[in-house]
Amino acid sequence: MKQKILPYLLLAPMILVMGVLVFYPIAATFSYSLKKWKLTAPNDIRFIGMNNYKSILTAKSTWYSLQNTLFLLLLVVVATTVLGVLLSLFLNVSVRGSGLLLAIAVLPWALPPYVNGILWRFIFHPGYGFLNKVLLKFGLVEAPVEWLSSRWTLLLVVAVVVVWRSIPFMALVCMAGRQSIPHELYEAARIDGGNGFGIFRRITLPLMLPFLAIGITSTSVSAINIFDEIIALSGYGDLGKNILVESYLTTFTFLDFGKGSAVTYLVMFLAALLGVFYLRSLNKEVEY
Amino acid sequence: MKKRLLSILLVAAMTATMLIGCGSKEKSGDDAKKDEEKGGDSITLMAPDWAIPTEDQLAAFTKETGIEVVVNEVGWDDIREKLATAASGGQAAADVVEVDWSWVGEFHAADWLETLDVTEEDKKDMPTLETFTKEGKVLAIPYANDYRLSYYNTKQFEKAGIKEEPQTWDDVLEACRALKSTGTVEYPFAIALNAEEKTSTCLMWLAYAMNGVVWNEDGTLNKESVTEALQYMETLIKEELVAPEDKTSSGMDAYKRITGGSASFLTGPTSFVSRSTNEEECGVIGEITPILMPGKEGKSKVTMALPEGLGVTKFSENKEAAKKFVEWYTSADMQKELNASNSAIPTRNSVLKGLVDDGSIKNAGAMLEEAELIVSPFPNGIPAYYAEMSNAMYNAINKMALGELTAEKAFAEMDTKIKELVEQE
Repeated sequence: MKQKILPYLLLAPMILVMGVLVFYPIAATFSYSLKKWKLTAPNDIRFIGMNNYKSILTAKSTWYSLQNTLFLLLLVVVATTVLGVLLSLFLNVSVRGSGLLLAIAVLPWALPPYVNGILWRFIFHPGYGFLNKVLLKFGLVEAPVEWLSSRWTLLLVVAVVVVWRSIPFMALVCMAGRQSIPHELYEAARIDGGNGFGIFRRITLPLMLPFLAIGITSTSVSAINIFDEIIALSGYGDLGKNILVESYLTTFTFLDFGKGSAVTYLVMFLAALLGVFYLRSLNKEVEY
Repeated sequence: MKKRLLSILLVAAMTATMLIGCGSKEKSGDDAKKDEEKGGDSITLMAPDWAIPTEDQLAAFTKETGIEVVVNEVGWDDIREKLATAASGGQAAADVVEVDWSWVGEFHAADWLETLDVTEEDKKDMPTLETFTKEGKVLAIPYANDYRLSYYNTKQFEKAGIKEEPQTWDDVLEACRALKSTGTVEYPFAIALNAEEKTSTCLMWLAYAMNGVVWNEDGTLNKESVTEALQYMETLIKEELVAPEDKTSSGMDAYKRITGGSASFLTGPTSFVSRSTNEEECGVIGEITPILMPGKEGKSKVTMALPEGLGVTKFSENKEAAKKFVEWYTSADMQKELNASNSAIPTRNSVLKGLVDDGSIKNAGAMLEEAELIVSPFPNGIPAYYAEMSNAMYNAINKMALGELTAEKAFAEMDTKIKELVEQE
């Protein structure tokens, strides 16, 4: 009897913590999303079923934000993965001062996202931005480029800023993966006549895949949740807004908690899809 | 044995921490006694840094009333969000809170603010009080004045061959063309065009100054007036009289071009009166003159105010003490003191006049005269949907600035959204 109860007793604190901090908010947000609940109309809070979802899914604004979100997701994930893997291979080479190099490489990751955004705003500022100054000085452009004035260049700048912050994490994860590969495999491959790229393609990459999956999933979730960088670079305007900015605007600026909760569920759905991918890739057998 | 001892110690430490963490907030007997002797109340104030009184000022208030003030300095942007989150849970974020003019409609609709008592004499002395009044109820009292006033750089105007200050918006346009064509200033007109709140207010004051009307009685936009203002902005953009960076930089950055010397004309906040004489902020000291806002046929007969006030939250448990604080904070004496300590522009015209007359406010120009022309452009007060309306306005203007929409299309876009909001209300 004691043995039957003990596991539940040991799990109880964590179940309680998860219940209060995770499951309850998820359930509460869902119940809010089914209500007409605007803080400026406190006497008109009522159940309206899926109307909030219908409303947001038929709004042009939601689809525009979703397009921006997916564009950023694609750019950030591809660029972070490629550059992160390259950086990890570079940092993995043991030379004098490699510890210092690693510390420097990790710096962008340690910066708060909003500070990161402001820093890059000074670089891309159309008037006195550093990048325009350099381009003008070398005669590469005749007039300052308005980086933040068009939708796609703005999103490109946002992606650059987020990639710059995300690369260190990806590189660290890949480095951990790279270092967990036994040396014997490389020795055996060399004896079998393997060359540099062949070894990378047939040994390093397959064995790093589970680590890459962690890095890609984490980067994907970060890319969906970009907020501070967009606000720092372009504010709450329509031009660069993604689905998270849309959610913030609806909930906290327009004080529409019902509709805002529905948008939040949309964000959560996207993140959950990637979470499933992450969990599945963790359990995958690797062939090499 | 060692392990068991360690476990016991760990459990004891955790229990002690929990007990401390969950400890009662009640004051000790001595503290409570001291409070009682002084009058007993303690209130919290949530306001941005520029609204926080000095320690000496707070000590004087406590000495006078026995009310302790606990200051919670919060960034302006975060106050509304904190207040909304707390109020949605039936809690007071603080007893006394910052209330921006643009929040009044929604705070009133959400029933978050207590009604405050104001004498008729005070109402006459504070024209911006109208902005904080809904259905005859005063919801906050303005402490920092900000109304739209025009500024021009006399030296640059003279250099371009313009000898007189502009009287009408057509004069301003002609002056800007001359300033550009003579090579005096490349982008002479400073105006907010980024997708942010300041851009919406730029359209409001421009339409208001041009035609004396922005909204119709039913809350929809006045088509003729607003379209004319949008067309004026479009001309400025097309003729490159505004800087390209004004389309994406913050509104304040755009305004600051006048103190930086890269713009010759601005209609903007009253804070630029003091900025224009501050060596740290102004590179063209002695060249900027504050003037009455231009109008269509001569100077505008109205201006719009964008003040900040203090209100008392409905969920406060110390309402009377909080009201006392607001009354003290917005009194004539304190407005004078706050001008000296926090550079706050008084909302009482009598205090403003005193400060201009005794030279405390330098280079005032038409500041005082303009203050007497403050009239709210909202016929029915600030609407509850202001945030959504402003969002639609600034996004449409920004799209026009970026060349995506014409003035007419920008009007149509914001008009459709505002009509939808009016209907929903």
